[in-house]
Amino acid sequence: MQILVTYVSVGRQGQVQRDQRRVDGAVLGVGRGTHCEIHLADARVALNHARITVTAAGATIEAQSGSVEVNGHAAAAAALAVGDRIEIGPYEMVVEAPPGGLPLALSVKLGRPLPVRGISLRRALARRPPVSKRRLSYIAFLSVLLLCLLIPMTSDLLDQWHGAHAVPPSGSEMSQDVLHAMSGKFTKVWNPGPVSRSHQIFGSDCRACHEYPFVQVRDGACLACHKEIKEHVARTQLTGQQGLSFAEARCAECHRDHKGIQMAPRAQEQCADCHRNIKAFAAKAGSDNVTDFRVDHPAFRLSMLDAAAPGVVRRVRQGGKGSAALVENSNLKFNHALHMDRAGVRSPGSEKRTVLECSSCHQPVDGGRLMAPISMEKHCQECHSLAFEPKLTQRQVPHGSEKAIATMLREFYARLVLGDAAPGVPAPEDVQRRRPGAVLTTSDRQQALRIADERAQRALRDLFETREVCKTCHDVSRDGSGWKVAPVAVTSHWMPQARFTHGKHTAQSCTTCHDVTKSKESRDVGMPDIGKCRECHVGARAVMDKVTSDCTTCHRFHAGRDRWHGPASLTSQREARSRK
Amino acid sequence: MRQHQSILEYRRGRYLKLALALCAGAIAAYVWHEPPVTYLKPYGGTWLGYTLGTLCAVLVLWLMMLGVRKRSYRSTLGTVQGWTSAHVYIGATLALLASLHCAFEFGWNVHTLAYALMIVVIASGFFGVYAYARYPGMVTDNLAGETLETMLLKLADLDRKCRQLALDLPDEINAIVIKASRAPREMGPPGRTSWWMQVMNTECRVRAACDVLMKASTRNLTPAQIKVNEQLIAEMTRKSALTDRVRRDLRFRRLLQAWLYVHVPLSFALLAAVIAHVIAVFYFW
Repeated sequence: MQILVTYVSVGRQGQVQRDQRRVDGAVLGVGRGTHCEIHLADARVALNHARITVTAAGATIEAQSGSVEVNGHAAAAAALAVGDRIEIGPYEMVVEAPPGGLPLALSVKLGRPLPVRGISLRRALARRPPVSKRRLSYIAFLSVLLLCLLIPMTSDLLDQWHGAHAVPPSGSEMSQDVLHAMSGKFTKVWNPGPVSRSHQIFGSDCRACHEYPFVQVRDGACLACHKEIKEHVARTQLTGQQGLSFAEARCAECHRDHKGIQMAPRAQEQCADCHRNIKAFAAKAGSDNVTDFRVDHPAFRLSMLDAAAPGVVRRVRQGGKGSAALVENSNLKFNHALHMDRAGVRSPGSEKRTVLECSSCHQPVDGGRLMAPISMEKHCQECHSLAFEPKLTQRQVPHGSEKAIATMLREFYARLVLGDAAPGVPAPEDVQRRRPGAVLTTSDRQQALRIADERAQRALRDLFETREVCKTCHDVSRDGSGWKVAPVAVTSHWMPQARFTHGKHTAQSCTTCHDVTKSKESRDVGMPDIGKCRECHVGARAVMDKVTSDCTTCHRFHAGRDRWHGPASLTSQREARSRK
Repeated sequence: MRQHQSILEYRRGRYLKLALALCAGAIAAYVWHEPPVTYLKPYGGTWLGYTLGTLCAVLVLWLMMLGVRKRSYRSTLGTVQGWTSAHVYIGATLALLASLHCAFEFGWNVHTLAYALMIVVIASGFFGVYAYARYPGMVTDNLAGETLETMLLKLADLDRKCRQLALDLPDEINAIVIKASRAPREMGPPGRTSWWMQVMNTECRVRAACDVLMKASTRNLTPAQIKVNEQLIAEMTRKSALTDRVRRDLRFRRLLQAWLYVHVPLSFALLAAVIAHVIAVFYFW
């Protein structure tokens, strides 16, 4: 079957050209594709736009992938009659009267050629953001580099240079301050974290610690302020590879700033790193290995003075084989049991017995770290009178020096025998009474002084030997020059390495830890042992109903030697030995 | 062999596995690592911190090298597809590595700026992956076998047709049609900011004109005019539908580009911040 297709075109002068073609087939494709029988070469037409089917009954058109309008109405399918106008995209087809023998004749005309102007694809797609990615990248890169690196660094370097080269008297001082402040502001963007509390006062002055660019903080910067800080252990005591590496550690290896308001390590693990095997770090270390207070801590070592070895501190470990030496050689006699009798002690001039408490004699000082020294005058003398002539006078000899006592007694009796006794003090019977105003001869005076010396000597013997006055507490001996009281050495810093304070333990009674109520001798040591502490304190790992305690609960790292070994004038036993 | 393979599935997710291994290794090291000073939390200055930091810095440089590699057409150093696959997975890993490097410590400083930039770059990259997984299919669906060019031609055609029809109609209607047939703002004259409008898909003039025409009173029209008016409304509706498709097409195209305007410049800002971070850290060591 054939149909007639006439392509109508209009020439430049408006002349109409009709190009007739015969097309074979009962089904005719209409579309942009060249395979279509009716080929409409225009982008606005779909590839397979429509299909015309010619049968004996007539012709029909049906839309395929494009839209078809028949006589001005969109139609999916329509039967075609002569005179129908079909619009396919920009094309206009008219069904013409077919010449004889042919079932269908169509004229095809491009109604609306492609617009010359109009919306071009290029224009639609050529839109770009006002700034290119490349330019944005440059801007972003350079501005971050400038703000975050170049400005802070330049301001810091300028500040340093200016500080080094400023001419003092001119107005440059002002500009230097401004520059310094600006530098602090700019370098703030580099601050990686909050400065520790004690460093906040110079927090914006990076150079206070970071002295040189690209050099780690050096100890000198720390020691410029922390002049008094003590080394944990003297460098000379550290041995071996590990000991040396410990000796060479910088301050900043433990003390890291910019990590919040604290910069002091409080971690047991760090202590245990060395103290787990202390000999590897210090071959001559005197301390035992320790890792945890609850699990692995040696018995306490008490630091004791010894009256027999003045100026030397004895360190004796509680329990174990050395505990036989755990006696105090203070050269004092004291009976705690007697004094702490619940029924009280008798006191002169009073019918009632006085009940003594611990606090009657022991008063905390230094925030409870230590106890104030016991003083004869304050704590003992009220009962233990040093009266030497109770029948004549209530006066007492001074406590302390034997010489001072002898001098005082001689003076007292001299005045007495020379008739210059204080009012109310009657002259002793064996002293010759004198007339008031009588002039003494030289021999009289010598006689009187001899009597006075004798009396003084008698009183001394009385005090030191006959009556148990001095001997109540002291060991008294006599040599050619007179009576001697054995030197006293009372220990005050029993545990100088411990940061113990009575102030934090006031909820406990004294005897909970220091049970001396049955002690009859001053040799007895009333210091609590580690077991007593462990009743409440555990190690770094928390235990229910116990106080978690790491190393620094009781010990200081930078304590230094004199703190650890009592008063600076004392030396440890070991040192005393090594000196010999 | 499959015609298309997503970069996410490149070589059966070879780089996904690599990235997961990297994550697992980093997390394990972070958990196992103890800072030299035990009271400290982990931080960038421990050996692990320095290791992770160096790794991150190297990764940033390498990730940025994708821009160079994809332009080196002669290069045989892997394929661009492989590079992109690795870029996506390793880039995502970087967020974890950098978080472990800084041990989740943040402040108002250069260091956190670098971190924040990195997070924004990675997030925009995620959007890019999402966009490339989603929009190309939507573009194809929207085009429905046509091209943007044919749609634009059709649009111009419809436009002319509408104006032709409107010639016979009262002035108000004619004015509406003419106004609606002006070039949409998105395709406005060069020099006007229309790129963002394409992204944002602002309101459409044609649709608005269509609505007005449909609601306009036809009381004053002659029967012939009413017929033309109906035809006009039909054409305008078609135009509106087509405009919608054109706009949607443009919008998808723009979305596929837009994230790069965040991703690329900020990655350069990140590079500068990393340089500043590294120098600042060692300047005041």
